[in-house]
Amino acid sequence: MIESTVIMIVIALGMLALTRSRADDSAQRGISLGWQTLKSTLPVLILAFAIVGYVKVLAPQDMVQSWIGPDSGLRGVLIGTIAGMLLPGGPYVVFPLVAALYHSGAGLGPTLAMITSWSALALLTVSFELPFMGWRFSILRLSLGLFAPLIVGLIGWLFIAG
Amino acid sequence: MGIVMERWMPDRTTLFLIAVALILAGLAWLQGGLSAVVDGLSSGANELLRVTPMLLAAFLVAGLTQTLVSREIIEHWLGSRAGWRGILLACLGGALIPGGPYVYYPIAGALLGSGAGMGVLVAFISAKNLWSITRLPYEFALLGPRLTLIRYAVTFLLPPVFGFVAEAVFGSKIDSIREAMR
Repeated sequence: MIESTVIMIVIALGMLALTRSRADDSAQRGISLGWQTLKSTLPVLILAFAIVGYVKVLAPQDMVQSWIGPDSGLRGVLIGTIAGMLLPGGPYVVFPLVAALYHSGAGLGPTLAMITSWSALALLTVSFELPFMGWRFSILRLSLGLFAPLIVGLIGWLFIAG
Repeated sequence: MGIVMERWMPDRTTLFLIAVALILAGLAWLQGGLSAVVDGLSSGANELLRVTPMLLAAFLVAGLTQTLVSREIIEHWLGSRAGWRGILLACLGGALIPGGPYVYYPIAGALLGSGAGMGVLVAFISAKNLWSITRLPYEFALLGPRLTLIRYAVTFLLPPVFGFVAEAVFGSKIDSIREAMR
């Protein structure tokens, strides 16, 4: 945890130095973009962590274990895939929730399937795709994309987590 | 250029999250009364405080990345390329493009309109979904390095593979899709 924090801060400082070395106003713009993103996502972030807190306190560990635990196998990967499609919101909401489930006993395969499925198949995102790409493109892309969480989940379950 | 990052329909999301938080707080109340309600909130607050330094750095990294990669650069790169090079470049462009779906879908739509192939479009969107550089700091900060590294490693080959498969299997359909969107 502390190592991760240090790595992230080092990357931030490195990028700050890189943008400051440019002749334009990249550094100021980058800082203000980051700040604006933070401000606009703060309410959602706080709510997400309130939910994370309750998930921990209520500790539905038996349920998490039996549905998407390390021994849930292919069924767990499928449940993770469907859950990922339904997860609402951006990374600030989804990642803390997935982390809380993982720490409450979700297996690696279902967890990876959930993240990948949210990334590639989230239904809220598809609603942005339709007006720009048309339903036929969406169906073709989703039919391929459906393999992503399944492949990733199965690899996580069979080869990494055991 | 007014890009606000990776924010999906804040109003609906916020309302949904408020509902979920309230339901969970209600369940906590039923299980353990007021002290369980407070426990949940303080556990969440502790968790948030724990990741705050990393999260602040992550927001800074994401903001700075956006200034280094602009929409114009990506569109210019991908505008007129095809074949396997087009697909690989589309993967790179998708990985680098900052912003949420309301940023990259208009770009993908513009690429479709200007003649991009099926493989290029699928590779671009898949790489944005699976390789996104601007999402990486949040994933790292909130999920931890282990899960993040495993997920990026396991999905590493997928965007180009999806691009090639889409081109080979559905490539001939792109003209009628383009026609329907005019």
